[in-house]
Amino acid sequence: MAMPLQEMVTSPDTDPIETPDAKQVAGRSPTQIALERLRHDKVAVVSAAIVVLFVALAILAPVITSLVGVELNAGDPSEDTDAFNFPVIGPPDNGFTWEAPLGLEPGTGDDLLAEWLYGARTSLEVASISTLLSTIIGVALGLVAGFSRGWLDRVISFVIDVFLSFPFLLGALAMAPILLNRFGGDPEALDKAQFFGIIFILTFFSWMGLARLIRGEVLSLREREFVQAARVIGVPTRTVLFKELLPNLIAPIVVSISLSVPAFVTAEAGLAYLGIGLTGRPSWGQTINQASGYFDEYALYLWAPVIGIMLLVIALNLLGDSVRDAFDPKTRR
Amino acid sequence: MSEHVQTSNGHTPLLEVTDLVKHFPVKSTGVVRRTIGQVQALDGVSFTLEKGQALGLVGESGCGKTTTGRVITRLYDPTSGSMKFEGTEIGQLSGRQMMPYRREIQLIFQDPYSSLNPRHTVGKIVGTPLEVHNIVPKKQMIPKVQELLEVVGLNPEHYNRYPSEFSGGQRQRIGIARALALRPKLIVADEPVSALDVSIQAQVINLLQDLQREFGIAFLFIAHDLAIVRHFCPEVAVMYLGKIVEIGSRDQIYNTPHHPYTQALLSASPDVKQAAIGGRRERIRLEGDVPSPINPPSGCRFRTRCWKAQDVCAEKEPPLYEVGGRNVACHFAEPLQVVQVPVVSEGATAVSPT
Ligand SMILES: Nc1ncnc2c1ncn2[C@@H]1O[C@H](COP(=O)(O)OP(=O)(O)O)[C@@H](O)[C@H]1O
Ligand code: SF4
Ligand SMILES: [Mg+2]
Repeated sequence: MAMPLQEMVTSPDTDPIETPDAKQVAGRSPTQIALERLRHDKVAVVSAAIVVLFVALAILAPVITSLVGVELNAGDPSEDTDAFNFPVIGPPDNGFTWEAPLGLEPGTGDDLLAEWLYGARTSLEVASISTLLSTIIGVALGLVAGFSRGWLDRVISFVIDVFLSFPFLLGALAMAPILLNRFGGDPEALDKAQFFGIIFILTFFSWMGLARLIRGEVLSLREREFVQAARVIGVPTRTVLFKELLPNLIAPIVVSISLSVPAFVTAEAGLAYLGIGLTGRPSWGQTINQASGYFDEYALYLWAPVIGIMLLVIALNLLGDSVRDAFDPKTRR
Repeated sequence: MSEHVQTSNGHTPLLEVTDLVKHFPVKSTGVVRRTIGQVQALDGVSFTLEKGQALGLVGESGCGKTTTGRVITRLYDPTSGSMKFEGTEIGQLSGRQMMPYRREIQLIFQDPYSSLNPRHTVGKIVGTPLEVHNIVPKKQMIPKVQELLEVVGLNPEHYNRYPSEFSGGQRQRIGIARALALRPKLIVADEPVSALDVSIQAQVINLLQDLQREFGIAFLFIAHDLAIVRHFCPEVAVMYLGKIVEIGSRDQIYNTPHHPYTQALLSASPDVKQAAIGGRRERIRLEGDVPSPINPPSGCRFRTRCWKAQDVCAEKEPPLYEVGGRNVACHFAEPLQVVQVPVVSEGATAVSPT
């Protein structure tokens, strides 16, 4: 490919995009473009609104319960339940009452609205903390493995494979009795241990996917010339990792988060349902487990947490789908 | 500066490269990764570059041009050989020791699409070198970046746009502004226009030439095509399979090429072939492919494709002989007019650089 040098023009650059529009001068980053797309996606907006509602309910649980005038674990079996252990006010035997909008728990007489709200809180706390931790671990190890290549990469890749081959449910099943033995005497300590234990188990078994993804991305990104350019300039390695590479990994990270949160919500409820999750604080899975025996006589008892989980997980998944589309470079512009 | 080495005529060249070697190990796959061979990307390359001078480095794809540029900018560590910048050996410096020289030696990349971080604004891209080397206080960053954008012919108001909003030629200008930001003494331009439209190539080359004159920057200008370099570089080196086969002044290389490979390259270059082969419009067609740099031919590396090859070419590697004022690595170096050239008709493909 040669060019006719005699015809070289000395005029200034005639490339396009001279926009006279002054407002157009500020450019938009790929992330801004993705967010802009999300704002125009109706499904995304509705599901985001639902997720925000759940988050608000969870955060405001203490405020809402005190406004309604209900309280967690305040039931008195002798006063609030009848001879058949069923609540004396509200459903299923009596009509709706503001004293107990979702009814009382059979047997204990505890308020179910309070339990539901704090259940949402548990669910979102566990899901978000686990997502945060597994994302940090996955990104950090993926970055290091992909960038270092050599022996460190091989060690990290081996660890990823080991963790992937370890059965998650077995880990959870094994942990429950260990914690119970250790902290059984002190309910408060047991609850704390269970809470952090479940976050640990969820994090422990979920960072590998993202780490692998990030490692692969870094392997290809580090061959891009802008990384070489940074090194020629003398940008320190840490800055190359976090300022040059990390911003290019937003899409896979966002995708991974969008998949993790609903998965963790489900996992937390599932473990609680099996009785190897949280027992010391309200959890939807636990309520579902207890309510399933009463379904014929007292359907609302079961429906409330089931609908809570379904709505939250569907909203999170739909939002995740939209987010993945919005961040997908193949559909960008 | 630790050591000052002076050349025979009493001054220190800006860059003096002697016997530079870069081998990439070829590893076996599997758990135990043994080295099973070496890609001999660079095998004893020597040249000097004076302050403000431009040297062209030309050769087919895969001959080691990019590797040369990346060793000089210390993106790759040299396997052996010496690289002296203003008399200081920089081949073995650690990352920290190399920092002051990073200001002096910059690189312009071949691909304007992968050389700019898509997630950074133009201002950030051009400002990074200033930031890393603490050239200007934070407050003066934007004006300084805008000044640089203006120097390379871009609208200074575009500093907060992203690379995706620019054309290839404009992106290459952004890359040039980044290389220029530190006011380096040496710029390695690795095929800076080969990814651009022909109509834009001339503009970018003219820009580089203006900058070279204005700031007195020395250039190592890499190209796979002799035509582009001719305009820019008073001195040209031709590479083949990790070695420089001929190095000389513009006139020597373009008018009386002595190495068969240079002659073949020139005849393939429509712009310059007439002068080179005495007005005849025939092309020299090279037989066969470029051999693998893992297993280069013995003796002269060009012998598998050379029409003049004799037994001695396989036995003895030709050193750089001084013939007719230039240095040429061929046992039978001579101008083209006096040799028998197998000619092919106009339409045939000659050396095809990619
Ligand atoms: N990082 C690397 N690892 C292994 N081999 C490489 C590497 N970089 C380049 N090579 C090899 O070295 C040779 C020279 O490559 P390069 O310098 O890119 O050539 P050019 O720029 O002239 O096209 C090629 O055979 C190439 O495959
Ligand atoms: S040394 Fe022999 S093979 Fe090599 S270029 Fe000269 S004539 Fe051809
Ligand atoms: Mg190259």
